[in-house]
Amino acid sequence: MMRYFWTFQAVLVRFLIELKRYPLNTLSSLATLYIVFLLLFAGARYAQGLGVNLFGEGLEGLVVGYLVWTFAIIAYSDLSWELMREAQQGTLEQLYMSPQGFRFVSASWIVSSFLVSLFWVAVLLGLMMLTTGRVLRFPVGTLLPLLLLTVAPVYGIGFAMAGLALVYKRIQAFFQILQFLFVALVALPADAPWGKALPLALGTRLLRRVMVDGETLATLPAVDLLALAGTAAFYLFLGLGVFRAFEGIAKDRGLLAHY
Amino acid sequence: MKDYPTRKGPVRALAGISFRVGEGEIVGLLGANGAGKTTAIKILCGLLRPTSGRAEVGGVPSSRPEVARQVAALLEGSRNVYWRLSVEENLRFFAGLQGLSPREARRRTAELVARFGLQEKRRTTANLLSQGMKQKLALACALVKETPVLLLDEPTLGLDVETSHELRGMIRMLASGEGKTVLLSSHDMGVVEDTCRRVIILARGRVVADDSVPSLLALFRTTAYRVSLRDGLSAEARARLVERLPALRTLDAERALEVELPPEKDVYALMDALREAGVAVEGVTRVEPDLEDVFLRIVRGA
Repeated sequence: MMRYFWTFQAVLVRFLIELKRYPLNTLSSLATLYIVFLLLFAGARYAQGLGVNLFGEGLEGLVVGYLVWTFAIIAYSDLSWELMREAQQGTLEQLYMSPQGFRFVSASWIVSSFLVSLFWVAVLLGLMMLTTGRVLRFPVGTLLPLLLLTVAPVYGIGFAMAGLALVYKRIQAFFQILQFLFVALVALPADAPWGKALPLALGTRLLRRVMVDGETLATLPAVDLLALAGTAAFYLFLGLGVFRAFEGIAKDRGLLAHY
Repeated sequence: MKDYPTRKGPVRALAGISFRVGEGEIVGLLGANGAGKTTAIKILCGLLRPTSGRAEVGGVPSSRPEVARQVAALLEGSRNVYWRLSVEENLRFFAGLQGLSPREARRRTAELVARFGLQEKRRTTANLLSQGMKQKLALACALVKETPVLLLDEPTLGLDVETSHELRGMIRMLASGEGKTVLLSSHDMGVVEDTCRRVIILARGRVVADDSVPSLLALFRTTAYRVSLRDGLSAEARARLVERLPALRTLDAERALEVELPPEKDVYALMDALREAGVAVEGVTRVEPDLEDVFLRIVRGA
C-alpha cells in the first residue's frame, strides 16, 4: 500500500518542481484568469448600471460561478496537456511502466493538479474579493466536499479527453468547445431534474448557497447532495471507462510513443 | 505475433517469434530498420499488446502493470528523462514511480550518481547535459528501479566513441557484477559484439538466427588471408596467381589482395604461389569475419 503513496508523492513533487521551473507560464495563467474576471466584472457592473442583472444572483454569484469555471477548465484539460507533453518528451512510456499502473499515475497527477488548483483559486478568490469588495463565506468542511463533488465530473471528462489525446494526439479544438460548454453549465439554473444530472450546474448552485447565503452541508437539501454525488460518480467512472478503452486502442496501434 | 492495424489493412511487424532469455544473460537483438526489434521490446514491457501469443518477464505476463517490478527499459535513448528536472530529481522521480520510499530513492540516487560519474552535474537540469551524460542519466533512471531485467533499445545511439565504450563497460558490469538480465537492441554491431554473449537476429518479423556470438562467427569463418604487397601487382603476376588461386581479389589499387583458400590448401601453399609469381610481400593477416559480416550474410540470406 505504501508503494502507492510513494508514487503519488513522487508525482506531486515533480508537479511542484515543474511549476517552479516554468514560473512565467504559471504566473501568466493566473494573470490571464484574473484579467478575464476583471472584464466580466466590468461588464456586469455596466449591465447593473443599466438595470440589467446579468448573472441572476448578483456579483457574488459571478465570483462563485467564475471560480467553479476556473476549476473546471484546469481540471478537464490538465491531464490531456500533460499526456501530450509527456508523449512529445518521450517520457509517457516510462509512466506506463509503473507497477502501480498508469491509471494510478494519472490519478495522482489529477489529485496533484487539484491540490495546486485549490491554492491558485484561493489566490484568485482573494484578488476577486478585493476587486469586488464583496466578502464570501468559507466553511471549509462544507466547501471542500462540495467542490470535490462539483468538479469530479469534469475530471471524468478530463480522463475521457486524455484517452482521446493518447490516440488522436492533437485535440485542442475540443478544449475550446468545452470551455464554452462549461460557461453554459455553470450558468444553468439546474432546477429541472435533467439540469441536475449535468456536470457543474447543480454543484455551482449549491456552492453559491454556501458561500453567499451561508448554508452548510446540514441545511442543503439531501436530495440535491445525493444527486450531486451520483453525477460525480457517474461522469468520473464514465470518463475512466473511455480512458481505458482508448488506452487499449493506443496499445494495439503502438501510439504511446507517437506525438 | 503483432499486426498494426492501418487504413490499408494490417501491417505485420512480428510474424510469430519465440525466444527465451535466461537469468543473468546479456542478449543482443539485431535487425535492420523495421525488422521488429522495438516492437518485440515494447511487447515485453507491456507498452504494446501482441495480436496473438504471450510474453512474460520473470513469470509475470507483460500485459500486467506488475511486470514493471521485473523489467525496466531504456527506450528512445535520452528522450526518456525529464529535461526540466535535475539529475537527482529525475532519479528520485523514477524511483518513486516504481514505489520506492524517499529514503530508498535517495540512497539509490546517490549510488547511481557516483557510479555514473554525475556528481558534479547532480543538480543540473537534464537539458543542460551533454548527449553522453543524458544517455547515462537515462540508463541510471532505468537502473534506479532495481528490476532484475533491463531492456535497452539503442543505448549508445548518438554517442561519441569514448562514451560509447564507457557505457559498454557499464552494461557488461550489469550482468557480471549485478546478475541482471539484459536484452539489448542496437544497430551498432561493435556494441553488441562487445557486450552480448548471445545474439538473436530478426528479419521481417521473424527470428532468423539465435546463437552465441562465437558460434555465429564460426559459422562464417573462412580460410581467407589478406596480403599487403610492397610493389603492387603486375598484370603478369596477377595472371599467374589467379591460375593457382582462383578466389582472389585485389584491394587498395592493387596494393593488397584478399584470397580465400580452398580446404585442401594452407598458408604455405599461398606463400609458395606468391613467391613463384614474383610478388614482394609486406605482410599477411588472416581475415576474420566480424558480427557485421555475419549479420549481413544472415539477413541477406533470409
